[in-house]
Amino acid sequence: MRPRETALFDHLFQDAAAAEKGPLAGAELYERRGWQVEVTEGEDGISVTDASETGFALRLFRGGRSGFAAAGPEGARHLVSQAAGLVPRGRSRRGFRAASPLPGEAHERTPLTDPPFPDEERILETIVGFRRDIGVAGKGAVSLREVSVHAGERRERIATTGGREASWESTAASIVATVAARSAAGRFSARVVAVAARLEELSLARLARHAADRVLLPLTGEPAARGKADVLLDPHVAAHLVGRLAPLFFGDSQELLLAARTRGGRDPLTSPVLTIVDSAFAPGGPVRGTRDGEGTPMQRTAVVDRGRVASRLTDVATALRTGWPATGNAIRTTWHSPPEIGPTNFFVDPSGGLSPVDLLSSVRRGVYAAVLLERPEVDLAADQFRLMAAGYAIEQGRAAAKLSEIPIAGRLSEFLRSVSGTGDDLKFVTGGRGGAGSPTLLVPRWNLG
Amino acid sequence: MNDLLQDADDAVRLVRGMLRRGEEGEAFRERKRVASWTANEAGLVSASLTEESGTAVRLRRGTGHLLVARAGDSPDALRSAVRDAARRTGTSPFLKSHRAERAARADAALSPDDESFAALLQAALAKALADPRGIALSITVSRIATGRVVVTPRSAVWCGALSRLEATGTIRRVEAERSFCFQSTRPTAPALETFSALLQEALRPVPAAPPPGGETDVVLSPAAAVVFWHETVGHPLEAEAGERLSVLSRVRSAAVAPPDVDVMDDPLREDLPGSYLFDDEGTEARRVPLISSGVVGDLLSDRRTAGPRSNGHARTPDFRRPPRARMANVVVAPGNRPEEELVAICGEGLYVREIAFGSADPESGRFALFVERADVIRRGRLGGPVGRFVLTGDVIRALSQIDGSPGDTVTSSAGLSLCVKGGDPLPVGGAAPALLVRSLLARPARR
Repeated sequence: MRPRETALFDHLFQDAAAAEKGPLAGAELYERRGWQVEVTEGEDGISVTDASETGFALRLFRGGRSGFAAAGPEGARHLVSQAAGLVPRGRSRRGFRAASPLPGEAHERTPLTDPPFPDEERILETIVGFRRDIGVAGKGAVSLREVSVHAGERRERIATTGGREASWESTAASIVATVAARSAAGRFSARVVAVAARLEELSLARLARHAADRVLLPLTGEPAARGKADVLLDPHVAAHLVGRLAPLFFGDSQELLLAARTRGGRDPLTSPVLTIVDSAFAPGGPVRGTRDGEGTPMQRTAVVDRGRVASRLTDVATALRTGWPATGNAIRTTWHSPPEIGPTNFFVDPSGGLSPVDLLSSVRRGVYAAVLLERPEVDLAADQFRLMAAGYAIEQGRAAAKLSEIPIAGRLSEFLRSVSGTGDDLKFVTGGRGGAGSPTLLVPRWNLG
Repeated sequence: MNDLLQDADDAVRLVRGMLRRGEEGEAFRERKRVASWTANEAGLVSASLTEESGTAVRLRRGTGHLLVARAGDSPDALRSAVRDAARRTGTSPFLKSHRAERAARADAALSPDDESFAALLQAALAKALADPRGIALSITVSRIATGRVVVTPRSAVWCGALSRLEATGTIRRVEAERSFCFQSTRPTAPALETFSALLQEALRPVPAAPPPGGETDVVLSPAAAVVFWHETVGHPLEAEAGERLSVLSRVRSAAVAPPDVDVMDDPLREDLPGSYLFDDEGTEARRVPLISSGVVGDLLSDRRTAGPRSNGHARTPDFRRPPRARMANVVVAPGNRPEEELVAICGEGLYVREIAFGSADPESGRFALFVERADVIRRGRLGGPVGRFVLTGDVIRALSQIDGSPGDTVTSSAGLSLCVKGGDPLPVGGAAPALLVRSLLARPARR
């Protein structure tokens, strides 16, 4: 650790505290240090990227409003004057203010040290392992064009004039692969991604199977017949749809929409078999942390409990404004972005679910949507969605013919209320911000098209 | 931002000392300043300012590539990156500084120019939101200034400074939501004027008329045509390493479009957001013909894909990412038919005013364009607006279905914003005339 930068944090905090005084004023100083290593192996060779990051971000609060400025160590000494000039004049009911300490927490400022360097040997082992798995899953028909494996670790700390002092650390890993296949029907390439909290938690065999399906099914199957059919959504497909529901629960921003969908809370939002949860501790989830970007401890929050809207995801300002509990969902996507409400691991709770084989056995005639072919289209305001998937026909509880196109579309609320069964096989995908997860979902008699 | 070149001689010496026989490489310095304002339907809500600078050292040896990125753009940051790169490659460069450290950077607080910009932005928002009833707006407007320097073993190259205005956000009405994006490199006043006009247009209620389905002929407005060319020609002609051939690179020198079609990528168009003088590997930017008289032209290349024959299209979103061959500004030559004539020739179809975003798989040639605003064409005349839909097709087939000459007026697109490929976002631009394409497949959009 560089002593000069440790002193910088303390000096900045003192200056910020002196600049903003009064009952509705305050300051929050944030620091992040991290390492990331990414190894990419492609047809043109191997490339290694080794990047460090160090950044400071300051928010000043006045009259319920805030000003935000961020800079690296070279420009950090100007942060106080920059942020002070950015706080809007006048008062606001938005509720921005410096977070207070949490009950029972010691107020001790611990200097931040540089995290350890990621294990490059393990990254290379991951690449070798995935190459082997794609060979097995693709049975020689799938070529791996490029694979990138990334591992990173970061340490963060926060201090507020309200008395909150906290530091925490987190890790992240991902694998991104471009695969291709060709047949008489044409060529198809796809980019697949898996994310996890640690390299060893990346499920390489599962990603390889998914990648093979992603490029082989569109080339080898037939389009699904239009009309009503039972729909079984693979966790990889269902998770993308579930992840797109998260903004409904970001603070109080979508209250009108939620009220419209549930007739002011009288109706359920989804089928009673669905409980939707946000949790930074979910097993297999790509996000694993102890605190959010405001230093609030992360927790498990059920936003939908057996079909009914139960709670919202909040940050400090929303919690103060609404009186709801702070759920630890203030997310800093980068050190130079202000925290915003977002999900950690947002998923359908698989508790009480059946095994996917049992769900499959219960379908007499239907489709199994195994992979998404296009970005899912979800319009929460218009209550519409569309998934273009590929997969298999299901006949008498068994997977039959391959299907190259399965269009699943319609009214989103109706689809969510029609879910009749969930699996116990929770899987996560990357959901833009945070992770999105679901087990297998069964929707009977949905109109395909 | 020119102080990025202050220690140019030392930097060149360091990079030269770092490289061993058989190695190529360069250092890359970047400084970025982003001033952002978030707004809702009631006006400006909050402001933020971010300054980030970084240094990367890149080494290429045979088929191996190394990138070491460190925070800061000072001579110390370069020495640190070179030292760490050397440690990884086992060489020991000359690390001693020959010049005094540069003077401390001037205080970069929000400038009076930013404050006057905020007032102008407030006025532009008020003009666009004359009647905010029933609208929930969430928008972020940013002024982004970047400066970049590439240090090669021979010289330090100033790639150019770029300032642009960027706006992204969502507009919600009771039963509809749409995205909004805008960018401009023009001076503040005209840029904000265009921003206000486009936002006003985007705030109009979504038409209730059902969107079309099935095969349809479309006239693409100049703004929509830019996105069409970007997805169908630009991406498939970005060079990729190895055998990853795209649909168009498999048919180089073949006639795929009518002879009136000329498309090029032009990084030297300073009025467009993708412009630069030197690319992010220090190669001089060049105009590259993508389609010449209907015939497939050159690939956009970088040093990774073309070595010293790179045509100056190595681009990186920031100093931490390796550069890849990417588009800058897609520019299409005008044809000889007025837009009204294209509508008249179309007969029955759709006039596409705005495409929100698109995607393409260069390998299979499939593409999708998400249409935000369009009008129906009946008997060669414009009719009422229709709901959102998606246009899909195959690149080769779509190019062959272009009906004759494009429109006679080229307009730059303000709606084309960031292009994301492989997770790396880059500002891109484009200018094109209107275009008539037969038999694209339309289906309703739900997003």
